[in-house]
Amino acid sequence: MAKKTAKEEVTSVAGSDQLREPAEIRYADQLEALRQNDQDAKPRSWRLSPRAVLTYIVGGKSLKAEIGGKKTDVPITRKFFGDDGLVERAIVTLASERALLLVGEPGTGKSWLSEHLAAAISGTSTLTIQGTAGTTEEQIKYSWNIARIIAEGPTPQNLIPSPTMIAMRGGLLLRFEEITRCVPDVQDSLVSVLSDKAIAIPELPDANMLWAKPGFNVIATANSRDQGVNELSAALKRRFNYIHIPMIADQKTEVEIVQQRSSELIAQYELPVKINPPILHMLATVFREIRQNKTSDGVSLKQPSTTLSTAEAIGVALDSALYAKFFGNGAVSPSDVARNLVGSIVKEDTADLAVLKEYNTLVARKRGASDKAWKEFHDTLAGQLG
Amino acid sequence: MQTALDAADVDADALAARVDAVLNDALYWFPVRHHSAAVARHLEVVISQRRPKVVFIEGPAEAQELIPFVIDSETRPPIAIYSSYRDDDNVLGLAGIASPAEDIAPRFACWYPLLAYSPEFIAMQAAARVGADVVFIDLPHFAQLERRTCTPARLPGVAVEEETGKSARPTDELIAESGFYQQLAKVAGYKSWNEAWDSLFEIGEVTTDPERFRRELATFCAAARATSNPDRILGDGTLERERHFLKTIRETLDRRKLEPTDAMVVCGGFHLFLDRDDVTPPPETPAGTVYTTVVPYSFFRVSELSGYGAGNRAPQFYQTGWDLFRSGRPDDLLTEHVVAVLKRARREGHAASSADAIAVTQHARMLAGLRGRPTPILDDIQDAIVTCCCKGNPEDEGLPLRRAIDLTNIGTKVGKVTSKLGRLPIVNDFFTQLSDLDLGEVLGHERLVKMEFDKRQPFDERRSVLLHRLRFLDVPLAALAETPGAEASAGLLFRERWSLKWNPKVEPHLVEQTLLGDSIEAAVLSKLHEQLAADLHQAGATCAQLRRAIDMDLPNLIAEVQTACGAAVDADTQFVSLCAALGHLTVLDRYAVYRNLRRIELADLIARCFDRACFALPDVASAPEEQHAGIVSALQSLAELVLRGGRDDVDRSVFANHVRTAAEHSTVPFLRGAFLGLLAELREITPEELAAHVAAFAQTSPDQMVLAGDFLDGVLAVSRTSVMLGAGSLVAAIDQLLQAAEWSVFLTMLPRLRAAFERLHDRQVDSLASCVARKYGLTEAARDRLTELKTSVGAAALIADIDRRVAEIMRKWSF
Repeated sequence: MAKKTAKEEVTSVAGSDQLREPAEIRYADQLEALRQNDQDAKPRSWRLSPRAVLTYIVGGKSLKAEIGGKKTDVPITRKFFGDDGLVERAIVTLASERALLLVGEPGTGKSWLSEHLAAAISGTSTLTIQGTAGTTEEQIKYSWNIARIIAEGPTPQNLIPSPTMIAMRGGLLLRFEEITRCVPDVQDSLVSVLSDKAIAIPELPDANMLWAKPGFNVIATANSRDQGVNELSAALKRRFNYIHIPMIADQKTEVEIVQQRSSELIAQYELPVKINPPILHMLATVFREIRQNKTSDGVSLKQPSTTLSTAEAIGVALDSALYAKFFGNGAVSPSDVARNLVGSIVKEDTADLAVLKEYNTLVARKRGASDKAWKEFHDTLAGQLG
Repeated sequence: MQTALDAADVDADALAARVDAVLNDALYWFPVRHHSAAVARHLEVVISQRRPKVVFIEGPAEAQELIPFVIDSETRPPIAIYSSYRDDDNVLGLAGIASPAEDIAPRFACWYPLLAYSPEFIAMQAAARVGADVVFIDLPHFAQLERRTCTPARLPGVAVEEETGKSARPTDELIAESGFYQQLAKVAGYKSWNEAWDSLFEIGEVTTDPERFRRELATFCAAARATSNPDRILGDGTLERERHFLKTIRETLDRRKLEPTDAMVVCGGFHLFLDRDDVTPPPETPAGTVYTTVVPYSFFRVSELSGYGAGNRAPQFYQTGWDLFRSGRPDDLLTEHVVAVLKRARREGHAASSADAIAVTQHARMLAGLRGRPTPILDDIQDAIVTCCCKGNPEDEGLPLRRAIDLTNIGTKVGKVTSKLGRLPIVNDFFTQLSDLDLGEVLGHERLVKMEFDKRQPFDERRSVLLHRLRFLDVPLAALAETPGAEASAGLLFRERWSLKWNPKVEPHLVEQTLLGDSIEAAVLSKLHEQLAADLHQAGATCAQLRRAIDMDLPNLIAEVQTACGAAVDADTQFVSLCAALGHLTVLDRYAVYRNLRRIELADLIARCFDRACFALPDVASAPEEQHAGIVSALQSLAELVLRGGRDDVDRSVFANHVRTAAEHSTVPFLRGAFLGLLAELREITPEELAAHVAAFAQTSPDQMVLAGDFLDGVLAVSRTSVMLGAGSLVAAIDQLLQAAEWSVFLTMLPRLRAAFERLHDRQVDSLASCVARKYGLTEAARDRLTELKTSVGAAALIADIDRRVAEIMRKWSF
């Protein structure tokens, strides 16, 4: 079989009936190729060795593997852009006694990394609890089939296991998204899970403890903007290793990410649209400069209230592509970017309109004097802002 | 499989042959990396086994006679060999280029730091034990100065004078830039040269066989040299130094009639592969005054954090490794270091438990395993500490932890030099005075010590005098916490706050002052005389010297300086300089009784200085922009003196008249604004009149209107109370101006308008904002609605009662 390119992979995803497939399905070929070539020792219950997990996340050379009965070269693409050391620390944490908490600004790729780690280590990324203000202890531990309880009383068969319980039984990874959105009482129900590696089921006298199999661990994520809302208790904090995911440090990497992710999404939505590199570069520049309150040529800007993450930039790229397909000529223009920018930057605080206006007047207009694309961007945005 | 050698396009067989040739040479060459404990361990074994008669070491040839003092049993590293060169006859032609003036001889200095585990230091000690002589073979740093340029010496393991601002470890840089290293880093995932070095050679039992270690390091360096940019080697002085190595080695062997097998060479691994057939002679050493000595150094100075180019990233960490190895516990480095960091973190206010220490050591080992290392190196340990102990963003919540990591990595150790070396009289005087005044505590460690003196206490006064003298001599020991302009009003006239921190440059700096005198006082007197001569006819500078003479308790000089001040005040016509002089004189006037100054003469000086400053004022009415900040500051100090009152020798009307004249003649909007603003402060014009000047811009053409921002900037630069008193009229004037301005005119004006309003303090901003709010209809009623507090009748009564009582208390305080 010929070497499968990243583009073809994306197309195969696009061909699926599911709007979004989990990482272990999307990247099944890569995970299988890594498994077949993995020579290193694996921690118990892990599908891959830590080194192979690292390669899966940060990318590596193509591997020969037998996929679907055919020998083929499988490229291992980079999934996470940023400091590789950070991924190494995350993998080591998951092989240790402590759980992993990924913290960072919204849109820095915490959930994305969490999903890929779970897919590579456990082969499933779907054992997930979404933390909200309404998350209950039952959703973390277990609940009961009430009808059967009334009829038969508490038996193991009448217990409805939570993702935590399934992960513990299988020695798998549990993903806990936005843990700091949960109220402290609910968060604290994780303490015994993380320290004793067990869940007590007092309703079942003959099977009142569920012990986790080796390999079980938790990857939680928390938004640093939520800090102080439902701060983790000291007891829970010390059972987690925190890894802070920073905003992308350099322009080149940010452009790469926007390019790769927006291409994937455009393919997923089956949009026959192309976003040219200069447009993506412009988009990344706008986000970066407003986020950092300073332009590359030293002009100071007002501070926006939103984070303007790379994920937001990817969102604008996709919106622009959708606009170009359905209302434009199929090619994303600076106008399309400008048109879809306002909603990303101006959210809960209308003062951010002033931020965007300032940028358009002081920066985009000046650049527009010598650059057609910036002029088009400025004129459209000025029209949007009124 | 492709290796880094293949990727870097190196012929491995030819490289191996080259390495064999050097390692099998009759003269035994041992490669080193400066400050590497692993190299030192192997080198020590080799010297004790080979027992050479001579050991050639890559050390500064001009400091050869200092070797006995370096290895003296009283000497304790960290120390540094200090070497300075003064080009008395300007043979390099750098006078006026590398020195402040053509008649001042340029001076160049270098430090060669040595740690307890520096291979060169260990080699000197081992050589002494086997009875071998040590010969330093490196080219003196001043022989590498390029004529008519200021290019500093670029020597390995050498800290060059700070002002040169360049890294001084060229071989490390050359290796890190080499094609071989770049490929290796890419393949192995090394993020830095330090990480690569520690992984390959430093940490863990890489090999116990010194010969194998020597071969591996030599091969590495050969590959790096073979893939280095030849232009870099040509341009950074490496070849000149290597020529000096060879010349010294050959001449020494000839002179002492020794065979090459009787000797060994200890030098940077890169130099092992020098061109032995190079017939070009090394550069000549220029004539001049050379001074060398050994001085105590510190871990902080050696660390890369201090900015020292040849730094060691964690002197204390490697010292701990060295000590543990020597006590037979090399495997305890990880635990010892982690416990030390967490202990320090707790002192910095970061909660860290023993459970954290266990988690960190486990994490570090696993991380090292994942990264392909048998033992964790510093990078793994630091990553593990941050992962397991930092509960948030390392750049925010993790700052105390990161600080603890840095402090523990670096350490605070300061070295000691044997007393046999002898000290110059001025250095002795310094140490004696420090001891007499109980200031010796600053010598122990390189940490900040803060002190507060009440100069009315005789002992504090003596301490203050010494520190002022050291400060005047630019000895980098003590810094005065400045409280500009607050001395008198805050009652700080007799109180001083000092920050003291020992610095390895203290002693070398004192050595250089020996030209001025044999004691601190003699050096201070000479320097003050020199400066008085240089400051002739400059009132500000001369009066500053008078103030210094008083702070430094030089009674014999005070009368002389006071006379010089009178002459300078009479001769100086510069407004800013005269105002500065006036500032110094008024402070001295407050000291007068305490310092036994002749107050009548001082009052006369103040009066003369004030009058001359007033008359010089119109001369700066249209000064260029680069002088504006100085002029505004001078105007403010003069105005403060006038507004404070209480002096017969200061005539308010004279000052006001000259400010008015300056305002009338000024063609610079900013200065005109400042002069008119000052007149408003002096109540010579009303706030409404001032506002009318602002509003007048609204009637002008666009090219004049854009200057309104400058004018307002000038007004607000000097305004204190007039802005608050006349806020209403000023807001109305600005409003009128902005309504008249076109958008493009407004944009041009904007930066200066912003700058102007940034000068205001909070109360002024509040006052102006209230006026704007009133003007645009935010009524009191509306404001009440915004701040409406829903509360019970009882609570409201309680609040009213508290309010009344607070008001009563404040009345008593005369607010």
